[in-house]
Amino acid sequence: MTTHMTGTREEWLAARLELLEAEKELTRRSDELARRRQELPWVRVDKEYRFETDEGSASLADLFKGRSQLLVYHFMFGPDYTAGCPSCSSIADGFNGVVIHLANHDVTLSAVSRAPLAKLRGYKQRMGWTFPWASSFGTDFNFDFNVSFTEEQQRQGRIDYNYQRGGHAMDMTPVPEPVAELAAMSGTDAATYGRDRPGLSAFVLQDGIVYHTYSTYVRGVDGLWGMYQWLDRAPKGRNETGPWFRRHDEYGN
Amino acid sequence: MVKRGLDTHKTVTQGEWLEARKHLLTQEKEFTRLRDRLSQQRRELPWVKVEKNYVFEGPRGKETLADLFEGRSQLVVYHFMFAPDWEEGCRSCSFWADGFNAIDLHLNQRDVTLVAISRGPIEKLEAFKRRMGWNFKWLSSGNNDFNYDYQVSFTPEALENEVEYNYGKQKTDSSDLPGVSVFYQDSKGNLFHTYSAYSRGIDILNPAYNYLDLVPKGRDEAELEWPMAWLRYHDQYEDRSGNTKREAR
Repeated sequence: MTTHMTGTREEWLAARLELLEAEKELTRRSDELARRRQELPWVRVDKEYRFETDEGSASLADLFKGRSQLLVYHFMFGPDYTAGCPSCSSIADGFNGVVIHLANHDVTLSAVSRAPLAKLRGYKQRMGWTFPWASSFGTDFNFDFNVSFTEEQQRQGRIDYNYQRGGHAMDMTPVPEPVAELAAMSGTDAATYGRDRPGLSAFVLQDGIVYHTYSTYVRGVDGLWGMYQWLDRAPKGRNETGPWFRRHDEYGN
Repeated sequence: MVKRGLDTHKTVTQGEWLEARKHLLTQEKEFTRLRDRLSQQRRELPWVKVEKNYVFEGPRGKETLADLFEGRSQLVVYHFMFAPDWEEGCRSCSFWADGFNAIDLHLNQRDVTLVAISRGPIEKLEAFKRRMGWNFKWLSSGNNDFNYDYQVSFTPEALENEVEYNYGKQKTDSSDLPGVSVFYQDSKGNLFHTYSAYSRGIDILNPAYNYLDLVPKGRDEAELEWPMAWLRYHDQYEDRSGNTKREAR
């Protein structure tokens, strides 16, 4: 039996109306943040990156596919992983269905990972996804946008991720259990797993020139992680103590 | 066409950008903390016992509100706009559904069942679901008061005046409007209504808008006749692949 406070419809409504004001205030703040993001200055991308895609070798400008805005989801799939990261996979479950809408609103959403294209294609097929996914294997792209790190950086504690040095769970010694668990689920050890990180970067293409406009990491991608926004509305909330999620074809029932 | 605002956008060095970005990051982190606090407040809302016995038409026949939990303790209902005389579900709701279709499986692992409910007859819901290629469970409330009680459907008489929607009075021509309602079932089988959100309260549940909030043009809807005028059913875009070059607008 529940021990939660229950009330009449009128009592609930009074509390709900109060919450509604706070929710509206948060929505306004969210709009304001989006406006400030748009005001961020841009940085011209001068480096020539080459990606491997389903359509062959491609430049960063090619990834826009004729649109003026590109969102890159930095999907954690290092060259030595045997499968994509489970957290990124649940994020991808959320965006796979809306990529077509974004594509018709001048935004190409593409995943980019360091694993070779053949691995990405195999995994994408297994997951039943249709979004574009390019391989940055052998390029500086992931390193330049602070989502991949070298063994040397790792050894020397010089990992700058989410705009700070060494602040993430993946940088801790000993490795926290959830990180080890996710690494094992990706068929690799914690150190190798932690050399790739999740994030999202935005680019704009104007007169043939690509500009980097925005990048976000860690809880900055939380709002994009569809399932958490639903859980935030459920009575038990996120209801988690560690990584509970599996790939959608790995749940028992 | 690229808007003039973007043509004259300020460009800087990596170092200058980083400074501006870190400043924004502080505000984003503050926002995330506020959002977490709000989620906590949401869970502290009192609950209201559901006394009415709602029976829905589902793909396998009649199901009560309690049945919809499928043994879990939490139920999230997406109020999908599909009136009995419509031939297709609402376009915006279909956009939302494209976002949640693949995640109900994950929610199930956290003791949450997600379903869609509409007034349209089950045959129409099933046919539209097949066309859209969705997997989530979708039920018809066409024979009960559910949609009216949770303030997402309105009678023709009610539509003549202002209706009660999103906790306020407003004038609308639409017999159905979108929303999300949350229910809890305790170990004795008592049902409680815990939460409902409408209008922009469900914005954040659409992943596409969260992504658009990060790009240079943002939602880019201000100059349209109405905000979602650009939107189509996912099988009705001319560019279906997301791959081919877009025609200039």
